[in-house]
Amino acid sequence: MELFNSESKKIISDPINVNNPISLQVLGICSALAVTIRVDQAIIMSLAVIFVLASSNVILSMIRNFIPNRVRIVIMLSVIASLVSVVDQLLQAYMYDMSKQLSVFVGLIITNCIVMGRAEAFALKHGPSKAFLDGIGNGLGYGMIIIIVSFFRELFGSGTITLPDGGAGYVLFSIPESWYAAGYENIGLLVLSPGAFIILGLVIWFQRELIGIEEEA
Amino acid sequence: MHSNTYTLGFVFIVTAILGTILSFTKINVRDLQDYNLKADVKKNILRSLDYEEDPNNPWTNDLVEKIFSQNVQAFCVDKDGNKIDCVIEDVDIEKNQSQLPVYLKIVDGDISGIALPVAGKGLWSTIYGYIALKPDTDTVLGIQFYKHGETPGLGGEVEKGWFTNNFKGKKIRDIQKEIIGIEVVKGKVNPENSSSIHQVDGISGATVTGRGVSVFIAEDLKRYEEYLNKVKVSGTI
Repeated sequence: MELFNSESKKIISDPINVNNPISLQVLGICSALAVTIRVDQAIIMSLAVIFVLASSNVILSMIRNFIPNRVRIVIMLSVIASLVSVVDQLLQAYMYDMSKQLSVFVGLIITNCIVMGRAEAFALKHGPSKAFLDGIGNGLGYGMIIIIVSFFRELFGSGTITLPDGGAGYVLFSIPESWYAAGYENIGLLVLSPGAFIILGLVIWFQRELIGIEEEA
Repeated sequence: MHSNTYTLGFVFIVTAILGTILSFTKINVRDLQDYNLKADVKKNILRSLDYEEDPNNPWTNDLVEKIFSQNVQAFCVDKDGNKIDCVIEDVDIEKNQSQLPVYLKIVDGDISGIALPVAGKGLWSTIYGYIALKPDTDTVLGIQFYKHGETPGLGGEVEKGWFTNNFKGKKIRDIQKEIIGIEVVKGKVNPENSSSIHQVDGISGATVTGRGVSVFIAEDLKRYEEYLNKVKVSGTI
């Protein structure tokens, strides 16, 4: 199989675009709301989800013909939970500040419906290379949305844009003091969960409008 | 349909492999994690003692270790305020009442701050932190909370600067010089109130957490009463 024939491209691009796990399927909303306060958190969370999705898809796809059907949910869950725990441990060791900020939400990747959903719907029915692409695609789709949401939340909520580094984050941009002196104020609502809902709703609306999908009434 | 034996065997093998991977990971990163934890505690002690991180030279674990060893003197005291031996990193003030850790900020040979651990129940969890006093053993130099399981956005705000900065300059002793701690009020502090010097603004939506913080700060500071009185009188360790 050629890696980048049109079918493989579709496997990767569909979940980013017309079948996005967050904006079209509306899965994984809990973490999308929780880790989008700052851009650096969203980026690290996206990387973690991409890693877990891709590797759980590959592993499960490789053993798909051996998994007894009766216990497949348990097997999927233990593979996913182990991968998430590994990510969590590595973050605690190599990116301590980030792991403190993401706190429980790294562990909660286990219950992210996207991961289980892709394992059940795709990995158990396709070969490892396709499953890998599907995992990457869905991870990118998830990451794209939460990074967009976090960009607006951080910029208008806290007045900064922070990128991840080894420590507490590298501030790429912050609104100059003179703006605040001139009466500019951050929108505190955006830092709270309702702000995340509003931004996420707008993003979902925008993307659906772009694709031209209309939900049946 | 697979047989029961096959199913059990399969589950067993998968579990064994996953378990091995997990423990292998843990063993390999445990030392680094411990080091991070210890450095984080020291970072919070430094912050409570009014050290500020230079944005151009961020606090790496090694830098924290260096600042700490050069400027901070750590030891334990007993209930009567006498210096005693202890392994300060292993002391758990929640469990052990006889060994009380003290961290002194020394500037040019003089004490310029005294950091003491405080810990107690919030709403969901035990909150851990450090409160630092000026050498008059009355004025708060700074406070930091570094470990808790409170609701993010509500009780979790205790670790945020807007909350902890309000403690700076507040007094922990009343007119009779008795230790009364700092009260986290519900809502805003009324500056015209005579007791406002002992009060800080509360966190809206986290009344119970605030009440817990008020209680354990007072309780934990009282354990150091003898020691703090000694420092106050003699001005030295």
